[in-house]
Amino acid sequence: MKKETDPQIAVDRMRYIKNKFSANMALLTILFNVFYFVNIYKSDVSNYYYNILIGGSIVFNLLYLLAAFLCSEEVKQYHEKYCWFLLVLGLIQFVRIFIIPTQAHNAYVVIANVERQVMYDSQYFRCVIYLVISGVCAVLGALKGVKLSRTLKAYEATLGEEKRRD
Amino acid sequence: MANLKLEHIEKIYDGNVKAVHDFNLDVKDGELIVLVGPSGCGKSTTLRMVAGLEDISNGHLILDGRDITQVPAKDRDMAMVFQNYALYGHMTIYENMAFSLTLRGEDPNVIHKKVLAAADILNLTTQLNKKPNQLSGGQRQRVAMGRTIVRTPKVFLFDEPLSNLDAKLRGSTRREILLLHKRLNATMLYVTHDQTEALTLADRIVCMSMGHVQQVGTPLELYDHPANVFVASFIGLPPMNLFDVTVKGDHLEGKGFKVPLNEVQQKTLKAYVGKEIILGVRPENLVEGTDIPVKVTSNENLGMNTLVHGHIFDGNTKFDRITCKLRGWCNYKAGDIAKVSINRMHFFDKETTNSIKEEDK
Repeated sequence: MKKETDPQIAVDRMRYIKNKFSANMALLTILFNVFYFVNIYKSDVSNYYYNILIGGSIVFNLLYLLAAFLCSEEVKQYHEKYCWFLLVLGLIQFVRIFIIPTQAHNAYVVIANVERQVMYDSQYFRCVIYLVISGVCAVLGALKGVKLSRTLKAYEATLGEEKRRD
Repeated sequence: MANLKLEHIEKIYDGNVKAVHDFNLDVKDGELIVLVGPSGCGKSTTLRMVAGLEDISNGHLILDGRDITQVPAKDRDMAMVFQNYALYGHMTIYENMAFSLTLRGEDPNVIHKKVLAAADILNLTTQLNKKPNQLSGGQRQRVAMGRTIVRTPKVFLFDEPLSNLDAKLRGSTRREILLLHKRLNATMLYVTHDQTEALTLADRIVCMSMGHVQQVGTPLELYDHPANVFVASFIGLPPMNLFDVTVKGDHLEGKGFKVPLNEVQQKTLKAYVGKEIILGVRPENLVEGTDIPVKVTSNENLGMNTLVHGHIFDGNTKFDRITCKLRGWCNYKAGDIAKVSINRMHFFDKETTNSIKEEDK
């Protein structure tokens, strides 16, 4: 197969080819967030989660999924602003490790005079892994997106007005 | 570029239904061949056999000296443009054009260069980021053509590519195909039932009927020297007028009219004196004159010409229908009598329907 190595062509291709890497990373962020979301409320003990915060947590997750999906669509078009937004969403996943999973892991409730851990180690580690993968995907997608968006922007600046509108 | 040879090609469907009979054709490198004929005549079946989409029942298909009769469609190095464009609606124009090369695993940068070159040829550069539903029918057909160009196949196959377009767009896209052919100098096989497309595009036309090849020749040959009554009536618009006439030595006698024959015509019809033949007269070969009285039924002004429809009329009886394409603007009304003369005739044997030698010059 004939190999074309001109880097200029690779950049020019970006005018017609979407940023699938970043978009797919954003979708993986969503997928692993869903895994986390499904895992988080499984509990064998009492009613630790059954307070007003559970509603807020669910709403937050829904908004998070929507935001990540919006980012996946926009980063596909090399919109740098949304790459930064995706980066923030990724960082949020790391912060979330220290909220519900860690708090629940550290919390104990007394049932029939026996103190029991709210979130056992296995569930805790699962949640942490899901959040880390989700966050890493978002960060990778965002960083690559920023790089490509800037490259394309710089390239387009060198083209004539008519070509930019193509 | 390629030489394509169809040798004794036949298509027989289950139940012994023969769709194509003994098709022979030698397509030269860079030639644009148009297969023309009415619906069901086997032209699309022939094209699909060439493309590999239909099995060839009998015969051989030779491409550049290599027998490809049994070669699968994907390995034939031919590209086909369909009537319904066959574009992927969820992909952009760029992705549609690049798709076949992507499937082949070609280098993305090479694909990019080929797609841009094809888009440039077809004037689609500004449409590459759009989806097919954002384009007009003509543009979509250009994309379909672009998809074949990027593959740089040996033979281009077109299956009624303009049938979905309106009349105006058909005209402009037809010219684009012609320019494309000149630019690429590619071997092309083009199927249509529209004789205007056939006459304007073809280097050579293959006229088909009922699975049989009726005539192969240049557009002018088919128009000026039709091999038989079918070709004569199929090529030309409005179609040729056909009359049963008797050869009477120095003239022809038909129902309600007589036309004199010149020396050349008399010589041509020497063997038919006293016999019935078919006289063919193109509407544009009729002029206002004295030989044939026509009772007008309708008058269509086309600007430069007028189409006069009517019946041959001897004063009492109406005979065969006749259509005349008269020069200029005529104002005949239904019931008027117009008199016309013939300035060019075609003769056909009544039994075989084949052309009788040459008509007068």
